[in-house]
Amino acid sequence: MVAAMSNSASNSAAVAASSWVTTFLERLPAPAGELEAVQWRGREALSRQPLPTRRQEDWRFTDLAPLTALTPALAPAGEQGSWPEPAAGAVRLWLDAPGDPLAGQSLPAGISLLGADEVQQALGHTLAACNCEQHWPVELNQASAPRVLALRVSAVVAPILELVSQAAGDGVMRPVRVLLLLEEKASLEVLQVQLGSGSSLTSLVIEAHLGRESTLRHGLLALGESPACFLGHLAVEQEPRSLLESVWASHGWALSRFEPRVVQVDGEATTSLKALQLADGQQLADTHSRVEFRGPEGQLDQLHKAIADDRGRSVFNGAVKVPRAAQRTNASQLSRNLLLSNQARIDTKPELEIVADDVRCAHGATVSRLQTDELFYLQSRGLSAAVAAGLLKRGFCEEVLRALPAAAAAWRPLQRLLGEA
Amino acid sequence: MSSSTSVGDLVSQPYKYGFVTDIETDKIDKGLSEDVVRLISSKKDEPQFLLDFRLRAYKQWLRMEEPDWATLGHPAIDYQEMIYYAAPRQQEKKASLDEVDPKLLETFEKLGIPLSEQKRLSNVAVDAVFDSVSIATTYREKLAEHGVIFCSISEAVKDHPDLIERYLGTVVPSNDNFFAALNSAVFSDGSFVFIPKGVACPMELSTYFRINSGDTGQFERTLIVAEEGASVSYLEGCTAPMFDTNQLHAAVVELVTLDDASIKYSTVQNWYAGDENGVGGIYNFVTKRGHCRGDRSHISWTQVETGSAITWKYPSCVLQGADSVGEFYSVALTNNLQQADTGTKMVHVGPRTRSTIVSKGISAGRSSNSYRGLVQIGPKATGARNYSQCDSMLIGDQAAANTYPYIRSQQPEASVEHEASTCRISADQLFYLQSRGIGFEEAVSMMVSGFCRDVFNQLPMEFAAEADKLLALKLEGSVG
Repeated sequence: MVAAMSNSASNSAAVAASSWVTTFLERLPAPAGELEAVQWRGREALSRQPLPTRRQEDWRFTDLAPLTALTPALAPAGEQGSWPEPAAGAVRLWLDAPGDPLAGQSLPAGISLLGADEVQQALGHTLAACNCEQHWPVELNQASAPRVLALRVSAVVAPILELVSQAAGDGVMRPVRVLLLLEEKASLEVLQVQLGSGSSLTSLVIEAHLGRESTLRHGLLALGESPACFLGHLAVEQEPRSLLESVWASHGWALSRFEPRVVQVDGEATTSLKALQLADGQQLADTHSRVEFRGPEGQLDQLHKAIADDRGRSVFNGAVKVPRAAQRTNASQLSRNLLLSNQARIDTKPELEIVADDVRCAHGATVSRLQTDELFYLQSRGLSAAVAAGLLKRGFCEEVLRALPAAAAAWRPLQRLLGEA
Repeated sequence: MSSSTSVGDLVSQPYKYGFVTDIETDKIDKGLSEDVVRLISSKKDEPQFLLDFRLRAYKQWLRMEEPDWATLGHPAIDYQEMIYYAAPRQQEKKASLDEVDPKLLETFEKLGIPLSEQKRLSNVAVDAVFDSVSIATTYREKLAEHGVIFCSISEAVKDHPDLIERYLGTVVPSNDNFFAALNSAVFSDGSFVFIPKGVACPMELSTYFRINSGDTGQFERTLIVAEEGASVSYLEGCTAPMFDTNQLHAAVVELVTLDDASIKYSTVQNWYAGDENGVGGIYNFVTKRGHCRGDRSHISWTQVETGSAITWKYPSCVLQGADSVGEFYSVALTNNLQQADTGTKMVHVGPRTRSTIVSKGISAGRSSNSYRGLVQIGPKATGARNYSQCDSMLIGDQAAANTYPYIRSQQPEASVEHEASTCRISADQLFYLQSRGIGFEEAVSMMVSGFCRDVFNQLPMEFAAEADKLLALKLEGSVG
């Protein structure tokens, strides 16, 4: 009897999930534009794959209810919000501009747009290399993204490239797709700002290919307001001696899920991933990262920090794969979590898979509240308990936030994250 | 690289305990059905409640699917091709060891566990389980003086049905998982230990399990209950003879501790792991769980896993009583094509509960060794603490070491710490030891011993020696 009931419950959930996808697809305009073929493919895939369910290991902790509560439709163009002036030395591109985001802007020296043929050739290559081209959030983006910002970086670019996108208003769907090709010895610093409010859905897919000895510093600031939802995917292919520094911070979304997937194609590259996610209210913040070393002497330094307060829920799943070819890999991963309320919840699951013997891999995870001895120390110096707690929280966040590109300061991330804005 | 090749040679020792004792066995036809479950129950002359328990489990099992989430690969198991009951033809109870079939005793001698020796020399009571029915139980009178009950489950069902009815299946419910349901339906025998209120068990209790019949899956059921203030240390050790067909072992172990009680459960497992091509070997799918029901109770699991083709085993603690403590110390060695997916679950329910996890995995050959653990802090577990450490040692570049720790916390007044690392036997360390005049083999053995020391320190004296011997056995041999 019980089995029958749960069966019918899961059946009705499956029906609801497939009807959400059907409605979503119906509301999309007919495929058109430079990504027409991709849109067809994505829609076809979505119609075959209903929403992921919590029976799938990868989605076990991620309740998609906030997402299915939305009825997103593609918004043709956005409205510029009251954004801070771009920092000195930063070039801002508004990704949802009505026309061409580059209109009236000249790209910094060393960056050029990819031609249509090149886009066709390169788009999806890195996703395939990272084995995530059929991943559900990616298909959702492919089905809906009307255009792609595809850039070639051929030299050391001095200014910070700031990419801003905003999903504001009810029922708005904002798919953003970015493709970055860094040639040998090129270097680029990008700050991506994703804002969301109302019952909107933001879907972000970034692909980056890092040539030999190139450097990409990528910062992502995802600031939402519940019930807005965010699904982000970053796929990076790294060639030897390239450097990836990825920093992301998110707060405020009813549901946010960020999925960095990094592949070091021949090892010898350096990857640094830093993250900070805050979940309060009834928010669910989720990060699923995966780093794969396909050659020797790769380096990984990963730090994931999370704060869960109120009835918030933070999820971290960090997979590190070290196959036989990846000798002398040096990988470390640390998940640090602050649990500040009785009703909040932290799920953290580092995953280490090693088949090479000459490697140094370590991972650690901690879950606790603010340290009482630290609080006591600050109080003994005359701070009130609340101020002391605030100071410690700021310190906890700063470690990640200060690694964001300098242009992020204009957005006052700390104040926004801690709700002091 | 040459050093790791020779380390590989070292660990590729053939199974030394492979032999079959030729004793007539009372078997039923292979296959599993409701009739078989009833037949097992009637052969054992069981009361109605136990038959109901078995039948309920069997019906639940029929509706369940074999779990596939572990990173294990094995040919599909045909549950209808197995024999679910085999008892050695030893009908009468033996008054002393002299009456026991000498061949059986010889078997134990070969295993290095001479009952008679132990009886004389050590203060260990041994309930030796040969296949599925107990053969000899020693020291029972002495234990009885203290009110301790140590007997086979079958005897306990006859002599203490109230205790069995009260505790059986309360820690691992019959529908807990696929293998637990199978075990609940067809369990043949196992051990029962009951330590009454306030009694510290006067000696360490020990059971040696042994799989002996080619197609007999062994479904042991162990139940240990420690009442208020009681304490016991229980030892379990296993070896099995060499066979070509895979043998299934799906045991269930349940531990219950009431207020201030303590149970220490130690296992050394060295079942046949298959040859270097992965042929043969035991499938070991075990459900072990302890329930700290009372306040300030304590359950400690220590395991040394060196055998089995596949190990699927997560000794767990449900820490319900306030201030209760759970511990898990594990060494898992895999070689050739062995697969071990093992770890623990620490479920913190009560306030100020504490748990410690120390797991050491050694992978050699083409084996795969996974640590999979769960630390769960419930909303009421204020002030709970957990510390986990899992280290892997890789020998050779074809072995896999995986770590999957899950941490879920719902209590801000709790702290959870997890750390994991991986290392190998490095050439420079070996060179150093060799330069000090220590032989290659001994150097490897020393380093492995050192790596596992945190766990060996937790084993009772006699067992620590046996565990050391086991690892040494896996590592000894000619150096290439």
